[in-house]
Amino acid sequence: MSHKEAQKRTEERVAPRSRQVTRMELEENELAAAMEREREELERTWARPSGLRGWFTDTDHKRIAMRYIKTAFVFFVLGGIEAALMRIQLARPENHFLSPDQYNQIFTVHGSTMMFLFAVPIMTAMGIYLVPLMVGARDVAFPRLNLFGYFVYLTGGLLLYTGFILNTGPDAGWFAYVPLSGPAFSPGKRVDIWAQMITFTEISSLVGAIVIIGTAFKMRAPGMSLNRLPLFVWAQVVTAFMIIFAMPAVMLASSFLASDRLIDTHFFNPAEGGDAILYQHLFWFFGHPEVYIIFIPALGFISPIIVTFARRKIFGYVAMVLSLTSTAFIGFGLWVHHMFATPIPQMGESFFTAASMMIAIPSGVQIFCWIATLWGSKLNIKTPLLFVLGFFAIFILGGMTGVMLASVPLDLQIHDTFFVVAHLHYVLIGGSVFPLFGAFYYWFPKWTGRMLSESAGRLNFWLMFIGFNLVFFPMHQLGLHGMPRRVYTYLPETGWGTLNLIASIGAFVLAGGVLVFIINAAWALRAGAVAGANPWAADSLEWSIASPPPNYNFHNIPVVQGRYPIWEATADAPVVRGLSTTKRETLVTSVMDAQPELRFDIPGPSIWPSLVAVAVAVTFIVGIFTPWAFLVGAILAGITLICWFFADPNYENKTARETGERSQRVSPRPELQPKEV
Amino acid sequence: MSTRAVIDISELPHHEFDTYDPVWWGNNFLLAIETSMFGILIATYFYLRQNFTEWPPPVAQLTATLKPLPQLGYGTAVTILLLFGCIPMVLTDIAARRGNRAVSQIGLIIAVACGLAAVVLRGFEFSAVYFRWDSNAYGSVVWFMLGMHMLHLLVLTTEAILLMIWIFTREYDMKHRVDIVTVAVYWYWVTAIWLLLYAIIYFTPRLG
Repeated sequence: MSHKEAQKRTEERVAPRSRQVTRMELEENELAAAMEREREELERTWARPSGLRGWFTDTDHKRIAMRYIKTAFVFFVLGGIEAALMRIQLARPENHFLSPDQYNQIFTVHGSTMMFLFAVPIMTAMGIYLVPLMVGARDVAFPRLNLFGYFVYLTGGLLLYTGFILNTGPDAGWFAYVPLSGPAFSPGKRVDIWAQMITFTEISSLVGAIVIIGTAFKMRAPGMSLNRLPLFVWAQVVTAFMIIFAMPAVMLASSFLASDRLIDTHFFNPAEGGDAILYQHLFWFFGHPEVYIIFIPALGFISPIIVTFARRKIFGYVAMVLSLTSTAFIGFGLWVHHMFATPIPQMGESFFTAASMMIAIPSGVQIFCWIATLWGSKLNIKTPLLFVLGFFAIFILGGMTGVMLASVPLDLQIHDTFFVVAHLHYVLIGGSVFPLFGAFYYWFPKWTGRMLSESAGRLNFWLMFIGFNLVFFPMHQLGLHGMPRRVYTYLPETGWGTLNLIASIGAFVLAGGVLVFIINAAWALRAGAVAGANPWAADSLEWSIASPPPNYNFHNIPVVQGRYPIWEATADAPVVRGLSTTKRETLVTSVMDAQPELRFDIPGPSIWPSLVAVAVAVTFIVGIFTPWAFLVGAILAGITLICWFFADPNYENKTARETGERSQRVSPRPELQPKEV
Repeated sequence: MSTRAVIDISELPHHEFDTYDPVWWGNNFLLAIETSMFGILIATYFYLRQNFTEWPPPVAQLTATLKPLPQLGYGTAVTILLLFGCIPMVLTDIAARRGNRAVSQIGLIIAVACGLAAVVLRGFEFSAVYFRWDSNAYGSVVWFMLGMHMLHLLVLTTEAILLMIWIFTREYDMKHRVDIVTVAVYWYWVTAIWLLLYAIIYFTPRLG
C-alpha cells in the first residue's frame, strides 16, 4: 500500500470520531463514581517501581527530570566551590593558597562542570519535566531512552570528579586546545578523562534532544497546533535542534583528540599533516551554539514568568518565535569570533563580525516584546519576576560587551584577559542562571506541592544580584588593565590587588545567595505553604493538574482552545476519551495541527536502559587505557541492546499484547459512552 | 445533569507508518545527528587536504615516487552490495505496509546477507588504503571515515537480523511492521551516505 493510501485509510478511521464532538449527559454522582474508578485504575497502571529497583527501572519523566535537576544542582555547587577557591587564590597578589597545578585543574574542572555537567543538563531536565505537562501528554515520547540518557550523564560527571579527587583532573582548560592537550604536552590520563566526559555528556544531551522534540512534535493535546505551542516548548524545541546539529562537532573533536592520544592518529599533529587550528574550528562550531543551547531554554522560562506576573498575554508571539529560531540559525555562524587571534582570512573575520553583531537583533526583539508585555500592566512582583528583572539588567550589560568583542581590533587587545571572563559570566549567569533561579521559584510549587518562602526569595535574589555584580563588574576593568585569564597569581606592582579583593568578597556574597536558596528549599519541603494546583493563576496546562502531578499526568487529555489553555478554556471545554486505563497509553497527534492519530503504547519500567548505560560506561572509561575496550564494549552494548529489543515493551500488559492488535481496542467504559446530541 | 463534550479516540490504531509513529521521527532525528557528524567529518577531510601538496601524500620508492591512490576493488564491491541490498529492502518495506509476512521474511534474509557481506568486505577495504591510521593525517581521516561508516553497517545489519528473528519467531504485528519500515529508512540512508563517502575517498584524489 502506498503512503497516500495509508494516510487516507487512517484519516477515514480518525475523521468521523475525532472531529465529531458529541455531548454526554450523565447523572453527576454516577459520573463521579466512574471517574474515581478510572483514577484508581490509572494509579495502578502507572505505578512507579520503588526503592533500589525504582532507581534503575523507573521511566517516569518527572522522576528522571528531578534526578537530573538535583544531580546538576550538586555539580553547580561543586563548580561554585571551585570558583570560590580560585577567588581566594586571586584575592591578593602572590598568594600561595593554591599551587599552579591545582589552579590549572580547578579552572578546567570549574569550566567543564558548569558547561557540561550543570548548564546543558539542567536546561534539558527542565524540558523533560515540563514539556509533557505543557503539551498535555502522559509521558515523554521515548521514556526508556530518557532513563538511559540520565545514567550516561551521571557516569560522565562521576568520571570527571573521580579523576579530580585522585589528582588526575584535566588541566588544559574547558576547551582543551591542542597542542597543549595533545600527547606531546599532556602526558598521563588527565585530558583523556576530559575527552570521555565530553562523550558521555554529549550522548546524554543528544538523547535528551530527541526525547524533547519527539514529545513536542507528536504528543500534543488536540487543538494545540504549532501556532499555539507555549513559548517555553518552542524554546526547548529550538534548543534541541541546535543540539542535534552542534553536538556532533564536539564529539568528533574529542574523539580525534582521544585517538591522537591513544592510538597515535595525526589529526592535530602538524608534523604529519594534521592541524591544530582544525581542533579550534571543530570545538567552536559546537562551542558557540553551546552558548545558545544554554541561553535559549532560559528565554523559555522568562516568557511564562512574565505572562503570569504581568497578568496579560505575551506581546508579539510570532515575533518571539521567529527571534528564537533566527537566534538558533545565526548562532551557527559565529564560531570564528572565538578564533580572531588565529590566522583567519580578513574576509572571514568581517563575515563573523557581522554575524556576531547581527545576533543582537533577535535578542533585542525579544527584550522589547517582554518590555511591551510588562509596560503598563499591574505587576505582581514575586521572586520569579524579580529574577527576570535581574536578568534584564545583567544580560543587557553582557550583550553590550558581546557587541564590543565582536569587533576584531578590540578583541585582539583584550583576548584572553579578564574582560572576556566578565563578558561570558554576564551572559551566562545573567542570561541563564538568573532565569533558572526564577524558574526554580516559579515551578517549585508544581514539583513539590509547596511554596518557597517569598521573603527568603527576595533575600536570595538581592544577595545573588549584588554579589554577582561585585564579582564580575571589576573584571571588566581588570581585563582592560591587561590581567590575563588562567594565570594563578600576579605581582603586587600590577596594581590589580584591590579590584581582585572586591571580586573575591563578591564571590562570597553570591555564594550566600545560593546558600539561602538551598535553606529555603529544604525548609519549604517540610513547612512551606501548600500550593494547590495553580498558585500563580498561570495559563499553561501544567497548572491544570495537581501539584505534584499524578504519575499519569492527565486523567483526561484536555482539548486546547487557544495559546493560553487555562485562561481561554470555556466552561464546557471538551476532553479526550478512549485512552486505556489499564495499560500505559498516550495520545499521538499530527505535527502541525495536533489532530489525533494514534493511541500510542508508552513503554513502561525496564532495567535494560540502565544496563546499556553500564555497557557504554565500561566502553569509554576502559577506553581511556586500551583500544580493546571498544571491542569488548561493542559486544556488551550489543547484548544489552538485544535484550532491550526483545524485552516486553509494557510488561504491565503482556496479556493485552498477546491477544493481537485489533482486540486490544479498549472502549470507554459503558456508562461513559457519549450520547448523541 | 452535567454535560461535557468529548473527543472519542477509542477507535484509533496503536501504530501506523511513517510520520504517524513517534519511532519513525526518533529514527530520523538520530539520522540527522549522524548526517551532521558525517558532514563535519567530510569537512575535516577537505580541511586536512589543504595541508598536503599531493593527496594522498606520495611515497618515495627506489626508482620513482608512487602516488598511492586507494584501490577501487573492495570499495566498489561494497557499493554494489549496498545498492543491490536496496532491492530486497524496498520489497520488504512495501510488504510490511501491505502486511505480507512471507515477502518481508524473504526480503530481510537477502538484505541481511548483503549487509553481512558488506561488513566482511569493509574489513578488507581498509587494506585498499595505502597508509595506516598512524602513518599520517590522510591515513587517520580516511580510516576514521571508513570506520564510522562500518559502525553504521554493523548496527544496521544487527537491527535487520533482530527484526528478521522477530518476524520469524514472534508475531508480525503492527509495531514491528512499523519497525521494518523504519529500518528500511536507515538502510537507504546508510547507502546514500556511502555513495557520498565512496565518491570522496576514491574519486576526489583521482580528479587531481
